[in-house]
Amino acid sequence: MSGSAQNTAVPVGAEAKPASPRSRLGARRPGAFLDLGVQVGVVLALCVAWEAGARLGAINPFLLPPLTDVLARIGEDAMSGAVFVDLGLTLYRALFGFLIAAVIGIPVGILMSRSRIVRWFFDPLLSIGFPMPKVAFLPIFILWFDIYDTSKVIMVAFSCFFPIAAATYAGTTGLDKWPIWSARSFGAKEVEILWEVNLPMALPQILTGLQVALPVGMITTVVTEMLMGGRGIGGSMIMAGRFADSVGVFAGIVEIVALGFLVVKSLELVRARLLAWHPETRR
Amino acid sequence: MSALRQAPAVDPAGMAGAAGIRIDAVTHAYRSPGRPPVTALDRISLDIGPTEFHALLGPSGCGKSTLLYLIGGFIPVQDGAITTPKGRVTAPGPERSIVFQNFALFPWKTVRENVLYGLRKSGVGREESEARAREFISLVHLTGFEDAYPSQLSGGMQQRAAIARTLAVDPKILLMDEPFGALDAQTRRVMQEELRAIWQRSPKTVVFVTHDVQEAVFLADRISIMSSRPGRIQHVLDVPLPKERGEDTLESREFIQLSEHIWRLVREQAVAATRGRL
Amino acid sequence: MSAAGAGPADAALALPRNTLLFKLFDGVLRYSPLLVLVAVWEGLGLSGFVSRQMLPDLGTILSEFWRMLTGGDLLYNTARSLSRSFSGLALAIVVGLAAGLAMATARPARLLINPVVQIFYPMPKSALIPVVMIWLGLGDASKVLLIFLGCLLPVVVGAYNGARGVNPFLVWSARSLGAGRFEVLREVIVPAAMPEILNGCRTALAFSFILMVSSEFLIASDGVGYMISSLGDGGIYPAMFAVIFFVAAIGFAADRVYSVIMRRQLRWREA
Repeated sequence: MSGSAQNTAVPVGAEAKPASPRSRLGARRPGAFLDLGVQVGVVLALCVAWEAGARLGAINPFLLPPLTDVLARIGEDAMSGAVFVDLGLTLYRALFGFLIAAVIGIPVGILMSRSRIVRWFFDPLLSIGFPMPKVAFLPIFILWFDIYDTSKVIMVAFSCFFPIAAATYAGTTGLDKWPIWSARSFGAKEVEILWEVNLPMALPQILTGLQVALPVGMITTVVTEMLMGGRGIGGSMIMAGRFADSVGVFAGIVEIVALGFLVVKSLELVRARLLAWHPETRR
Repeated sequence: MSALRQAPAVDPAGMAGAAGIRIDAVTHAYRSPGRPPVTALDRISLDIGPTEFHALLGPSGCGKSTLLYLIGGFIPVQDGAITTPKGRVTAPGPERSIVFQNFALFPWKTVRENVLYGLRKSGVGREESEARAREFISLVHLTGFEDAYPSQLSGGMQQRAAIARTLAVDPKILLMDEPFGALDAQTRRVMQEELRAIWQRSPKTVVFVTHDVQEAVFLADRISIMSSRPGRIQHVLDVPLPKERGEDTLESREFIQLSEHIWRLVREQAVAATRGRL
Repeated sequence: MSAAGAGPADAALALPRNTLLFKLFDGVLRYSPLLVLVAVWEGLGLSGFVSRQMLPDLGTILSEFWRMLTGGDLLYNTARSLSRSFSGLALAIVVGLAAGLAMATARPARLLINPVVQIFYPMPKSALIPVVMIWLGLGDASKVLLIFLGCLLPVVVGAYNGARGVNPFLVWSARSLGAGRFEVLREVIVPAAMPEILNGCRTALAFSFILMVSSEFLIASDGVGYMISSLGDGGIYPAMFAVIFFVAAIGFAADRVYSVIMRRQLRWREA
């Protein structure tokens, strides 16, 4: 195994598992309903503690403004539409960059497993690019593409590319040969085998790569927005931070928590849908 | 099936002092929410003598492993009681050691470290532990593989290491859960002979779970035949074979006849069970 | 990379493997695509399509790097950055391990911690930068806290999944050999969960670099991230490129070192 293939499996968690805590945390067990109830209770209790702590003066309200104030701010911004502009822009940048990375990264990964030359070229680049902190390249992209959306989207795509390509490469190499042989024995052409056998078999790992890449894309989007300013959640939050508007900062946190939750869970649903045939779904 | 005899309940006084296991009206059910409980064991009573090699024989799903795990103290007894000379079983303890079908060696420890683990836990000193580990590793013919990790060994070798780890602590009671189930036929045969020989040299209570009739007959002094759903002991049979057993035992008339007899009993169970399910 | 894999040098020369010369040649050939990138970079720069401002020639970048390195500037800022990064990471590993193991072994801990993990796991951690700024200002503490918070959940989840996934027969074996509950945790659950714990820590290591650089871009007066952004603001692009490549190299090297340690720890997994 060459370097990049080793790296691929690693930051993901175990080999073919999504980097999500849900796989085991959300399992259906005896007493699952009771557990769920208790956990919802814990969340509510934390919210109440937050509110009460800030209101009763146990916490300095500048450091942690009362929850109701934060929610009221989100309400105001929702009325004016600002929340939706910010969330929409952030989501658009994250998803657009992510999409570009997937459209380039998946074919690169597949080609790496099928062509020596492509592998020769990309293997060292992946093994170097995968672990390095890609955010550091942000000033280069700003220099090259100015401070508007282009550089943000390219930065996001650049960070998402490596996990996706590496996971696809790892997923499409070293596949179990029996399904491929049996497809061949039915007279399938090589292209058909690629689409009908290789890709479905590699799908769990490709999806895992996407599931690693998406949060990375979100992190990067927020950083680019903070650094370049302008609209978007990151920009609004850093602005609020600079003006010591702590209610604004926490409103941003609540919004980004919701957005992150939504995006990550959606991808998990997509995975469950696409892998309905896979044993992991039935676990 | 009228001629079935439940194991007779022996008077408790007979147990006093001697090692052995007394299982008294043990019932065990698996519960999962939204489904009726599944009775895995139904009023099992059985006494196993202090130096007895006892086989629990039955089809898969008859609860024989559950019974073994109860004796081991790994799952709590719901109803009834299991008693050893150390008292009622409530938790795992070093006087009742177990060998699992899937070996359960610690994969991050070498063969030697695995064997040493149990010895250290039972408070044996460092030097004696080392000596005992060497002794038992050689007993299971793994000398030369002391520093290998389990992943570097074949299934048969892993199982021998697991057996060495368990035997080295010299438990009063040895529990074996289809220990040879994952081995190929040849290795299996060799391991059976070795196990019997080891037991011969230092007799102790052995409870051996298997679904292989010949294995049970070859190894055991007494055999309990279990039925499934609910798990019950249908027959308890003595094995009137000589203590010393080897290659020729397998060809002896008694062995063949007894195997056939037991096979018929087991088959009856299986047929009845299948009919019941249809 | 490993000696067993067919390196590119196999095709090119008939040297005996494992000799230094072979390894050297193998390494050069393996990383030769980088030379292609260098050639493209220089070619574009020389062609005049792109201004030298945007694509400084590599010689200048290297000499800038040398100047900053020997001037001590770079080393000082690197030390500042790494100390933040590693304190946050170390704290996250200690707390994360404890929390993850507690969750896996005690139901009350699971019920308390799990909802927090579920809610905050998908949150892009960089969003916490303004929060730590409000809480702790612009000093070191805010960045260490950020890195700690950002690295915490991968460790928690790794430890939890690892400890939950331990083969119960291993636990039973240890119990029947006389191990108590705490001993089972220390001698069975932790080593058995080690692969997933180490993976979680590796993800955390990557996060620690990302958050270190990001936070230094935004709120710092030293550190490599600060160096990059101030060089960029000042229009000293060759030096900026030099520091960026240097930071990327450190991130890569840290991961390499970690993976060597990890492989040594997990030797028992190799057949």
